[in-house]
Amino acid sequence: MDTGDEQMKQKVGGENKGFYKAMPVPGALVLLALFLVPLFFTLSAAFLTEEGFSLSRIRETFTSAYTIRILLFTLYQAALSTLASVLVALPGAYLLANYSFRGKRFIRALSTVPFVIPSILVVLGFVIFFGNNGFLNQLLMKLFTLEQPPIQILYSFKAIILAHTFFNFPIVMNLVSTYWEHMDTHCEMAAWTLGAKRGRTFRTITLPRLAPSIISAATLVFLFCYNSFAIILVLGGGPQFTTMEVEIYRLARTSMDSGGAAALSLFSLVITSVLLVWYNKSQKMLARSEEYNSSSARLSKKPATLAGKVLALVYSVATLLFIMGPIASIVVRSFMASATRSGGESFSFKWYRQLFALERGTGHMGSALQALTNSLLIAALVAVVTVPIALTLATAIRKKGFASSALELFGMLPMTVSSVIIGLGYYLIANRIRAGVSVGYTLVVLAHMVIAIPFVLRTILPEYRKMPLSYIQSSLTLGATPLRTFFLIEIPLLRAAMITGGMFAFALSMGEITATLTLANSAIITLPVIMYRLIGSYNFQGACALGTVLILVSTIVFLVSELAKGGTNGR
Amino acid sequence: MIKHQRLIAVLAILLVSSLVFSQGKKETEISSQQEITVYAYDAFCGDWGPGPTIVTEFEAKTGIRVNLVSAGDAIEMLIKVRGEKNNPLADVVVGISDDMAAKAYAADLFEPYDSPTLADIPALLQFDPQNRLLPFDYGNFAFVYDSEKLSPAMIPTSLDDLTDPKYKNKVLLIDPRTSSVGLGLLLWTIEVYGEEGYLSWWKAMKSNALTITEGWSSAYGLFTEGEAPLVLSYTTSPVYHVTYEGSTRYRSALFTEGHSTTIESVGLLASSKKKDAAKLFIDFLLTDAQLDVATANSMYPVNSGTVLPPAFDWAPKPEKSLSLDALAIEKNLDRWLTEWTQVMSR
Repeated sequence: MDTGDEQMKQKVGGENKGFYKAMPVPGALVLLALFLVPLFFTLSAAFLTEEGFSLSRIRETFTSAYTIRILLFTLYQAALSTLASVLVALPGAYLLANYSFRGKRFIRALSTVPFVIPSILVVLGFVIFFGNNGFLNQLLMKLFTLEQPPIQILYSFKAIILAHTFFNFPIVMNLVSTYWEHMDTHCEMAAWTLGAKRGRTFRTITLPRLAPSIISAATLVFLFCYNSFAIILVLGGGPQFTTMEVEIYRLARTSMDSGGAAALSLFSLVITSVLLVWYNKSQKMLARSEEYNSSSARLSKKPATLAGKVLALVYSVATLLFIMGPIASIVVRSFMASATRSGGESFSFKWYRQLFALERGTGHMGSALQALTNSLLIAALVAVVTVPIALTLATAIRKKGFASSALELFGMLPMTVSSVIIGLGYYLIANRIRAGVSVGYTLVVLAHMVIAIPFVLRTILPEYRKMPLSYIQSSLTLGATPLRTFFLIEIPLLRAAMITGGMFAFALSMGEITATLTLANSAIITLPVIMYRLIGSYNFQGACALGTVLILVSTIVFLVSELAKGGTNGR
Repeated sequence: MIKHQRLIAVLAILLVSSLVFSQGKKETEISSQQEITVYAYDAFCGDWGPGPTIVTEFEAKTGIRVNLVSAGDAIEMLIKVRGEKNNPLADVVVGISDDMAAKAYAADLFEPYDSPTLADIPALLQFDPQNRLLPFDYGNFAFVYDSEKLSPAMIPTSLDDLTDPKYKNKVLLIDPRTSSVGLGLLLWTIEVYGEEGYLSWWKAMKSNALTITEGWSSAYGLFTEGEAPLVLSYTTSPVYHVTYEGSTRYRSALFTEGHSTTIESVGLLASSKKKDAAKLFIDFLLTDAQLDVATANSMYPVNSGTVLPPAFDWAPKPEKSLSLDALAIEKNLDRWLTEWTQVMSR
């Protein structure tokens, strides 16, 4: 009997194996060619000195007290930023997942926006809003007739955490609420019936069930903050807040010491990989299958008590102000231009007239529309291609075992490596391939895919792991082919996560600049590239106008994809 | 026999095709003699940059087409041409500054060119005795102030002055590890205080600097947003505001110790196959294009025959220009940066 069962299992397994084994191949190939190979060449410089192969540089870097001090600070600020992002995001995720209210989709769509804004514009938006001479301070000074700006939060460690939270809490909110929405309420109801208080139920039942998605999102935020650069230097106030990325940049660019830069990023890579392995392990341990909840029962509620209503309102207004402040600042600045010789600024469409070529602007402004079209095309393509590729990687990663753990780490690697080092790697590619424009486009799309894969993976994986194996087994037992099972059972269950992932891929591609600049050979212009060049030549308001277009277009796209998620998400 | 026939056939095909291809190559060489590729930093190529105007003028004058490529900043350009050494794409590189020159020499990328136009350029500005890199414009680093925020009595007159506690949180500095302008200030302090004294200036500035940004763009953006009334930039920065905004609100402060100089240069790549056309472009840049370059770049022209527009009255030339030897920079820069980081990160 036993052996018969075994044989049966093996047979089913064998049939599936070919299909599931082939799944992750395309994704792995893209990662290999566009990420791992160039990375290998860049990092190999760490071992090459004038005398040939040597470990001296590695030893030096790994044991230097200075490096270790910087590393500790980098880890500290990233951990604190992650904690802050998660804490700010959880109430929002709760509201989005459990209640249905007007404007919910809009909030979700808006929350992805910080992601598409290049970091230099985020810094400017932050300063325009929170700065000593910013909107907030000017308002408060007028209201209470103060001499000094009352809010002096920028240029300190607090500002780093604040800006990182602004950038990242929407990711956590989005990921956790998507996961939460599809969790049934049976366990909680049972707990309540048995007399547990709401707080206790949340702590002992809901939170552990949410843990996989929280950890997944926290991993992304952590790595994002780990590699943060401009935000830390400008808003932190200077070199006392030096991170690994700054040092890598200095070695690679200012000192042109590619060996030192490689050694340092290798060091960094080892540390982040160790952390990743630990994260992955804990996430897998916590993952358990859940019944998929597609009914909208969870969402029919509105805040019941008055206190609940007030709390929901206060949270919504506060976070909306927090997200909207810097973004709105960018929009407001884009409508200001000096009209007179005295230098005073007033409301004006000047930058928009230049953008739409109604007024003779300058070289960069004139090509803005072309850049917008390019950016939209590239981002849409990246989203459409990255989601299936990440999905195929996820099918393999979701299983337990060494190979899948290795693959998961592999899929996350692009996030752990500094953008400076990735940029150096792309130089190698760009220099080897004599790129025509079409080749350039392909390379940019592929590079954006590599950057987006970790995010999409983190969106799909927790949802995938939650999926009860019994669904797939019943389908197979009832005679469906693996292909049919995949398309008719697995994909529909993952739909919401796939759309969220697609939005992230789209947003990342829209805002990406480092890889684009290096690979495109200035033949391809995207919106961030033009923005970057405008800022470089004194035209901040022109860049703000472009930023506004970027924000508007992205909000529309995100809104449409929220609608595409369908009826289960409330109005 | 058959074997031999095959061999002969293969050889014949190879011979014919090589003839055809070599002929094709020759033809393209002749026709593309008329197009040169110029790498320049981003700001040169676009927006208010001088690139588009002078390329049009040059093409009209000589009939040689110019493919102007916006190739990042100076370091990116160096990395790029170094990477393309065996596979050259460009003929001319515009925008390597004098303090980076040693890196360009070390990479052995540029060919000496004793341009006849050098006769009109002050010897002081010709920093490369071998003429691999030829100066085309120059500027002086300076602190720019907001005249609506600083009373005349508060305008600083020296680097020493800036360390006064009255400037607490009023100055925007730039990190020398990540920015060429920031590096300019580091070298400026070494020129003024020497290796023994520069670190104490920076130590004293710690509480006066509102923040030390990663690049010029953020610092200047913060400055025009009114976050602080003093920013590290160039003596010529006010020219932009006078020319394009009609505003004299932002002015540069002249310092008694003198100002550090940065000279931007153009170089002929040794790998170029169109050197004659490339040389014509360099000559054009050092003569006819000087006014366009100066006004668009907000820098001083090198050619002494250039007449500047009135807006440049707002860009006072410092009485004393300071600079360090390129080789000394190359040798010590890493150590200076490390010392600087150690002092400033404490």
